[in-house]
Amino acid sequence: MVVAAYAAITARRWSFKTSLFPLATGIPLFVLAGAQLMLELFGRDETTSGPAVELELSTHVDPALARTRVAGILTWIAGFILLVFLVGFPVAVPAFIFSFLMLQSRVGWRLSLSLTAVAWLCFYGLFQWLLNLPFEEGFIQSLLGI
Amino acid sequence: MFDALINGLLLVLQWKAFSLMMVGMGLGFVVGLLPGIGGAATLALMLPFIFKMSPAEAFAFLLGMHSVAATTGDITSILFGVPGEAISAATVVDGYPMAKNGEAGRALGAALMSSLVGALIGALVLALAIPIVRPLVLSFGSPELLMLALMGIACITSLSGLGARGQIRGFAMGFLGLLLSTIGQERQSGALRFDMGLMYLWDGLDLVPVLVGIFAIPEIIDLAVRGTAIAGERQPENLQAGVVEGIKDTFRHFWLVVRCSAVGVFIGILPGAGGGVAQWVAYAHAVQSAKDAKDRERFGKGDIRGVLGPGAANNSKEGGELIPTVAFGVPGGGAMGILLGGFLIMGLTPGPDMLTKHLALTFSMVWTLAIANIITVLLCLALLGHLAKLTYIRGGLIIPFVLFLVFVGSYTANGQIADLIVTFIFGSLGYLMVLFGWPRPPFVLGFVLGKLVETYLFISVSRYGFSWLSHPVVLVLIFLTGLVIAYPFIQERRSRKREGVGAT
Repeated sequence: MVVAAYAAITARRWSFKTSLFPLATGIPLFVLAGAQLMLELFGRDETTSGPAVELELSTHVDPALARTRVAGILTWIAGFILLVFLVGFPVAVPAFIFSFLMLQSRVGWRLSLSLTAVAWLCFYGLFQWLLNLPFEEGFIQSLLGI
Repeated sequence: MFDALINGLLLVLQWKAFSLMMVGMGLGFVVGLLPGIGGAATLALMLPFIFKMSPAEAFAFLLGMHSVAATTGDITSILFGVPGEAISAATVVDGYPMAKNGEAGRALGAALMSSLVGALIGALVLALAIPIVRPLVLSFGSPELLMLALMGIACITSLSGLGARGQIRGFAMGFLGLLLSTIGQERQSGALRFDMGLMYLWDGLDLVPVLVGIFAIPEIIDLAVRGTAIAGERQPENLQAGVVEGIKDTFRHFWLVVRCSAVGVFIGILPGAGGGVAQWVAYAHAVQSAKDAKDRERFGKGDIRGVLGPGAANNSKEGGELIPTVAFGVPGGGAMGILLGGFLIMGLTPGPDMLTKHLALTFSMVWTLAIANIITVLLCLALLGHLAKLTYIRGGLIIPFVLFLVFVGSYTANGQIADLIVTFIFGSLGYLMVLFGWPRPPFVLGFVLGKLVETYLFISVSRYGFSWLSHPVVLVLIFLTGLVIAYPFIQERRSRKREGVGAT
């Protein structure tokens, strides 16, 4: 509802052509989200309705443990993005994989090193050598002029 | 015409053209597996290499690559829940749960065989339909394409669950996807919308980081939460037997596969409708073919029909897209637009000449689609057992590699770090959506089609005012859309009646 309201209020300041589609989608979204909120607060239990055809998350893990693991993996993902920003993909990929395997997955250092080498070879061989994709240098490299 | 058909086959079987087709297939195999690197982008990268080739060699190379990518994109969708191609997203919905249930081999076998059947049907239709498809293509203008896109979104919304709540959530997500597609420059006037002062958002949100994030990240989070392999604690299945079972499933549900192939061909023929629509409409058709509400509940939890439908449509669409591209020079989809560049490089003009003077070359494209897919399926069948073993490896070993592929793939969209942040944000959003029961497919389809829908709406209103609403084809599509929206309510009413009868 917040997103739809923001979109509709912002779009009002634009010309008709520019605002038409955001309003045509934002207003129904606001109404539908409001209707859903009303149903959740005051509606009856819909036990006969089938579930959404969607993926189902695992439910057999203790909720507190699940929350910890969710926070953990999100932190690792955010850390990987930060690492890419700081040192670029060519350094971030092996560094991330090695540290994840060692610290999170608790794999021995020999296996971690081997798997890291495989990953780096895939990255370099496929993305850099074969497909010749350009990867930006990291913030630290550009700061130090490396 | 029969001579041209045989000459077309002989063109493909010449050693140089055949070798180049195999090289293209190898490239397409890898590209299809890698999330984020799309078949269309790779087609563009390969265009400079065709300058020194003959037309038959060039199209064997390009089409070999493109048609195989559509097949192998399903592999990562099933094994890791990460769509290898944008057109393989629907396969994730049932393919990945099958892998989690220890049925990866079966899902892969079904995906490959249905892809092959779809590809062959698409090739056959391409061969037969070119002389007769002209009235169909010319009868679909912007109003009709607009209604088709809206019908596609309605089809997907009907998957959101029975009852008012399910439908409201589905439509809300569809509208959210449409709304987010408006970020960036408005196509008609160039005015900036919702850019928040960020130059990155001037071009809008790119499809690849959004799609990869919203599908892949929730799966990775769930895998981390479970702390097991993708297939859980199950004992490894007999993978080859699973693959054979998947192949048999294709023939057990043969008419579903044929119908979904027809959906793919039809949507492929319509210029601008895109592969994003075909896979979801086919999936929606597979769901709606369920016998009753209880049968329908199996979808999303690893129903083989949820893999067969999109698998067939993704590949049959290729043949369909070639029809307007070759016959009229109107690209059937984004990748076909790039293929048109190939025509120009070869000094060919799509149109009547391709159906008369160069008919053998046109038929060589048909044969390429068929032969490339047959060879790919045969090769993949040899590898599938090994690929399916990946689902039994501990999650802690798989996660860093999948994350690496996901984020490198997202980065290749625009080469900007901001793409990684977008992937993370939409990944987190996708996780919350799954957690609280808000469906992702309507959102994705709304986002994919948003710009097209707005353009078609603008052209329709500018050209026809509001009289386009009374066009015959538009009226038929409005009726069909209404039927699709009403169908879940009808099903729910029936299931309530049945429960009421059962109780008494």
